[in-house]
Amino acid sequence: MKLWSPFPLVALRRWWPSQNEWSLLVAIVLAIVLTALVDSNHTYFFRPFESLRDIARNSAMLGIFSLGAAVVIIAGGIDLSSGSMIALSGTVCSVTMLALAPTEMMAFKPVGSVVVLIAVLASLLTGFFVGTLHTWLITVVRLPPFIATLATLVGLRSFARALCESSTAVLTPTKSALINVADPAFKVVRDNVWFSVVTFLVLAFFTWLMLSRTVLGRHLKALGGNEQAARLAGIHTENVKWFAYCFGAMTAALAGLFYIANESVAAPVNQGRGHELNAIAAAVVGGCSLSGGVGTVQGTVLGAFFLRVVIDAVSKIIKTGADVYEGLIVGVVVVLAVTFAQGVNGLRHDRRILPGSLGLCTIPVLALLAGSLASMTTGAASGVAAGFTAFIALVALRIWENRSHDKKAQVSNSQ
Amino acid sequence: MNKQAEVAVAMRGITKQFPGVVALDDVTLQVRRGEVHAICGENGAGKSTLMKILSGVHQPDAGELEIAGQSVQFHSTRDAENAGVAIIHQELELVEELTVAANIFLGREPRTRFGFLNDAIAKRKAQELLGLLDASISPEEMTSGLRVGDQQLVEIAKALSLQASIIVMDEPTSALTDAETERLERTIATLRLQGCTILYISHKMDEVFRLADRITILRDGRHVCTVNKTETTASEVTGWMVGREISEHRFRSQQTVGKCLLEVKDLCVASQDSSQSVQLHNVSFRVHAGEVLGIAGLMGAGRTEVLEAIFGASNSQWQGTISLGGQAVSFAHPSDACKAGLVMVPEDRKRLGIFLNLNVTENISICSLFHAIRNGLLSKKAEEGIVAKPMNQIGIKTPSLTASISELSGGNQQKCIISRWLLTKPHVLLLDDPTRGIDVGAKAELYELIDTLCQSGLAVVLTSSELPELLTLSDRIIVMAEGRVTAEFSRDEANEKKIMTAATLA
Ligand SMILES: Nc1ncnc2c1ncn2[C@@H]1O[C@H](COP(=O)(O)OP(=O)(O)OP(=O)(O)O)[C@@H](O)[C@H]1O
Ligand SMILES: [Mg+2]
Repeated sequence: MKLWSPFPLVALRRWWPSQNEWSLLVAIVLAIVLTALVDSNHTYFFRPFESLRDIARNSAMLGIFSLGAAVVIIAGGIDLSSGSMIALSGTVCSVTMLALAPTEMMAFKPVGSVVVLIAVLASLLTGFFVGTLHTWLITVVRLPPFIATLATLVGLRSFARALCESSTAVLTPTKSALINVADPAFKVVRDNVWFSVVTFLVLAFFTWLMLSRTVLGRHLKALGGNEQAARLAGIHTENVKWFAYCFGAMTAALAGLFYIANESVAAPVNQGRGHELNAIAAAVVGGCSLSGGVGTVQGTVLGAFFLRVVIDAVSKIIKTGADVYEGLIVGVVVVLAVTFAQGVNGLRHDRRILPGSLGLCTIPVLALLAGSLASMTTGAASGVAAGFTAFIALVALRIWENRSHDKKAQVSNSQ
Repeated sequence: MNKQAEVAVAMRGITKQFPGVVALDDVTLQVRRGEVHAICGENGAGKSTLMKILSGVHQPDAGELEIAGQSVQFHSTRDAENAGVAIIHQELELVEELTVAANIFLGREPRTRFGFLNDAIAKRKAQELLGLLDASISPEEMTSGLRVGDQQLVEIAKALSLQASIIVMDEPTSALTDAETERLERTIATLRLQGCTILYISHKMDEVFRLADRITILRDGRHVCTVNKTETTASEVTGWMVGREISEHRFRSQQTVGKCLLEVKDLCVASQDSSQSVQLHNVSFRVHAGEVLGIAGLMGAGRTEVLEAIFGASNSQWQGTISLGGQAVSFAHPSDACKAGLVMVPEDRKRLGIFLNLNVTENISICSLFHAIRNGLLSKKAEEGIVAKPMNQIGIKTPSLTASISELSGGNQQKCIISRWLLTKPHVLLLDDPTRGIDVGAKAELYELIDTLCQSGLAVVLTSSELPELLTLSDRIIVMAEGRVTAEFSRDEANEKKIMTAATLA
């Protein structure tokens, strides 16, 4: 009789954000409001839809392979190769189209839906192959995941470049490091942002379903939590790993297709370069633990969204050359978000931020960082001022901390 | 000497709350200098928590702590070590990637004149400490290759190396067999002569009564009483612990042995040179339906290796034949064994058993998830339904079904793992030291459980570090020494002396 439980209600309870996710939500709203106010053009007020579209597209693209990164991390591994996998996937897709329909590709004409379909499948299959290779390297050759995927991080990009150059040398008049993708199917994807957003959300839903409501998902968590115990509990850990790494590589392959659609070109030299770290950052900001076994899809989705919102905010505020600062922002966000998630308990037992000689040396480092950042963005004078202020503030903090620490120690000794 | 100086440790009104549980409620305790003070209580009574407060791991919510008449407040274990308190933790906390010597001197590494690590001294001192315990562990060995019992010895050596005046031992012998326990007891006697104060936690009553001067009993986080050993008896103490008498009735009284379920013939395992796992030579035995076979032996005799080879969990190749219900089997992976109805409860629960990232329910249901599928998806409700029965049967004390497993006391964690395997409804149950760290009450319940399981036709193979336990439960006992079966006794023939003699045959 009760075949359909009140699904939406149950789902709502399960979707209910945890504390970390609430803080991410608040942080996202704060970042958006702040940007809307601080930005001198007030882009968020005057062109809200355009801004939303940009953020949505970028978050969806990052989100797709962040989900893959999260699954691998939850299974107790790490996949450093997704940026290169993105490049390889795009290259494989365009090379396949070039091979099946060379004249149309060179004339920037439609290649036909069958060819596009085959090319897309070829890319996803490549993702499966790469995931299989990773699993083999990790479980049979017994490389640590970090090493195995570090090798493919450098290897796959080089492979993609070689593939691009050698196939263009054979199939087109000149050797090239790029392949233009002009098929309308890809244009449609580029012009309709909802396409990538829906793909991302559907993928997120199924990943969530898999992680929280299937045996496989439970086995993934068990594997990440304690591999030896998982094996003794009768879990085929190799197969579970195989799934995790294939999922990681195939989501990156999927993201690679969106990359070539958005940029209308497959460019293995630079496409997705360094983006694996953004994906790992999104997962970690979203609450995944790098020691494995812990993490949620909701958190990862919010983490990816948060990263893109902050990156977008800085580009709105700084206006020119903001991409230079992207890495810096991601770095700062990761440090702050994870510190925040740990809460005060994560700090040292005496809860000092600048303890001992390490703290003493950290003061000038942080002050220099603040000063040089300010001088690069707003000029030398304000840079000196910012650096100086930071220095004074940190020294004051240090003195205050030491005082209260000594007091506490005295109290406990005299008791 | 005045009265004040005689008190080594005074704890007054100690209260500690964890989310959902009051672990300690106004506990007051005085430990005299130079005494061995045993602390007894059921699983989850708060023994470990009290000791963690004494050693700076936890900070109390209320109450005071005095060491040698001085009021102290520990913010970290380092503070406690400086005040002369060392602890051997119940859950082993060694760094697996380091050698035994490095673990013993972790954080206090001996240095050369130029400030480099002085491995030679570390090794020599580690060797001395291990020699004191008669342990056959090399200081250069990697900790990851050690079995629990050996790890426990390393923990003990580590605590001794601190030369602390107060040593807390939280179930130091739970994985040790009688021979090693005896050595530890000798060490404790020496320490006592040197003026050390020792706080000793154990679920083994005979041990407590051999060692302790005074005994403190905790129940549900409260102090019940502190008595002189000479003024009480074991049954009185267990009575205080559980709040009722535990009858010493003989289990496995009427046996109806059925057909042979598991037969092992000439099982040989070649030792891998990388790890120091024991070789097995021609191990043979049979277990029938409704029968408990005990495997006795010292540490390193190969008990665990036998069980692992049968379960398909062994990393090394084995030869010989294993037949299950008359059919020759060779399990390549534990999951094959589970499917065939043969399961194993591993000895090292922290490393091989629990998933710290999963909650209590998920830890128990991990092997039976396919029964919790409704409409193609895992149903939390169905899962909790499945788990409820064994939880009640064994009596797991947990704040809630969804509590994190790390919040449970050690014994309750062990019960979770046993229920995990009982849920798979096995025919043959391999139990590798299943009562490690379980209190007397729960032990009795578990014995009864094994008894009922046998009556319903299950075959059980049991190893234990405690001989009395083997003698109580087993219908037959085989004794192993250095990878060989050296003797076999029926229930009536077996006694501790015969078994010890056979176990030390080499
Ligand atoms: N870190 C923790 N977080 C939450 N609850 C905890 C934590 N540690 C212990 N507890 C709870 O405190 C109570 C006392 O636990 P404790 O480990 O002190 O028991 P114990 O007497 O040592 O038991 P055992 O004999 O099983 O080792 C238990 O109910 C346990 O669930
Ligand atoms: Mg304990």
